[in-house]
Amino acid sequence: MAMFCLQSCASPLVLFGRRLFTPRVITHCSYHKKVVDHYENPRNVGSLDKNDQNVGTGLVGAPACGDVMKLQIQVDDSGKIVDARFKTFGCGSAIASSSLATEWVKGKSVDEALKIKNTDIAKELCLPPVKLHCSMLAEDAIKAALSDYRFKQRDKQDNGVKASITSCSATASS
Amino acid sequence: MLSLLAHPRSSRGFRAVINCVAASRPSSSDLPPRGGPGPAERRPSRAGPPVRVVPRRSYGSAPPAPGCWRCGQSHAERPAFFCSGCRAVQPPDGSASLFQVLGCNHSFTLDTQQLQKRYLQLQRTLHPDNFSQKTKEEQEYSEHQSALLNRAYRTLLKPLSRGLYMLELEGMPIEEGTDSAADPSFLMQLMELNEAVEEALTPEEANRIGQDTKVKLKELTAQIDDALGKGEHQAAKALLIQMKYFANIEEKVKEQLDKLM
Repeated sequence: MAMFCLQSCASPLVLFGRRLFTPRVITHCSYHKKVVDHYENPRNVGSLDKNDQNVGTGLVGAPACGDVMKLQIQVDDSGKIVDARFKTFGCGSAIASSSLATEWVKGKSVDEALKIKNTDIAKELCLPPVKLHCSMLAEDAIKAALSDYRFKQRDKQDNGVKASITSCSATASS
Repeated sequence: MLSLLAHPRSSRGFRAVINCVAASRPSSSDLPPRGGPGPAERRPSRAGPPVRVVPRRSYGSAPPAPGCWRCGQSHAERPAFFCSGCRAVQPPDGSASLFQVLGCNHSFTLDTQQLQKRYLQLQRTLHPDNFSQKTKEEQEYSEHQSALLNRAYRTLLKPLSRGLYMLELEGMPIEEGTDSAADPSFLMQLMELNEAVEEALTPEEANRIGQDTKVKLKELTAQIDDALGKGEHQAAKALLIQMKYFANIEEKVKEQLDKLM
């Protein structure tokens, strides 16, 4: 009887197998309501002009889970972050972490934004240990954006210096 | 599927399958203290030097029992599902790799039909339904074996999980965290692909991206096969990382198609 049952179960078992073993199976885990809030009402989704000299773009990936995250900041002339946008393709915790990150960097100076730690993000969103790496990804995205901005500013300065040298030597030779 | 649920024995079987799936991520506290890391076995890879199989996940810290728990007879082969003497079901052998559990060669190229055949063959004998009239110990061992079979099948069926498992066996799992060495133009490409999927307005558009992704995945599978066959594990790791990203895009395409249709 058991064998008959198994034989008749066998092919649906494979069907079941495919349905049960695909990554879309919902296991017993639930997101904190703060994470759900950021997921359903994400703040600052979008893009800034990456060619703008005052925009820093941070693009990071997490190989273990295959998440990709882009975070951009717009900095004014006094070095204050006036706008931030993000786009994240990954789990709810990754989306929430990057959404929160864009909220937090706004209004901060570049140096202040550097101090944002993944542990603060994780604490605010009540991330479980298994999702801590999502907050780490967000911190790395912030740092990458700031680094890109600094690089562009240095480029701008270098170009400015070169221009003034050129104009000085042109004046001297005339 | 309906017949599976209607039959009273089937519903128990169905529950057992669900339990097996749920249990197929074993914690060491659930399982009997047997089958710890045993002596590493030498298995030749498809080409190149012998690959040392060092199991990364084992079912407990004790070494595998040399013989049957009931009659003491030593096992004729490993892993032993049943005692060759008294036919009692045995607990999982923690030193066996998932390849050994399903009787496959330790290689990236796999005949998935053979795999499925072997999986079903083993489940027919080890499924907890067969042990409902047996002792509590045998029921427990059959549940653990059945869960292990599910895990082995699930891991070895798809190239991505199979490749990642092979890296784990080499002591090279993909660590969690940001990849600081990632190529920015590659990440940008992924970003754009993901955006394209999200913005697809018709099933045809989404399907086109899906098809391109499938082609890319096939390419990567061949490259990974080549790298693993030559024992080039670092190269295989980089390719498997790429594959993970593209597999996620494939999933997103499916979700988008569900939304659009």
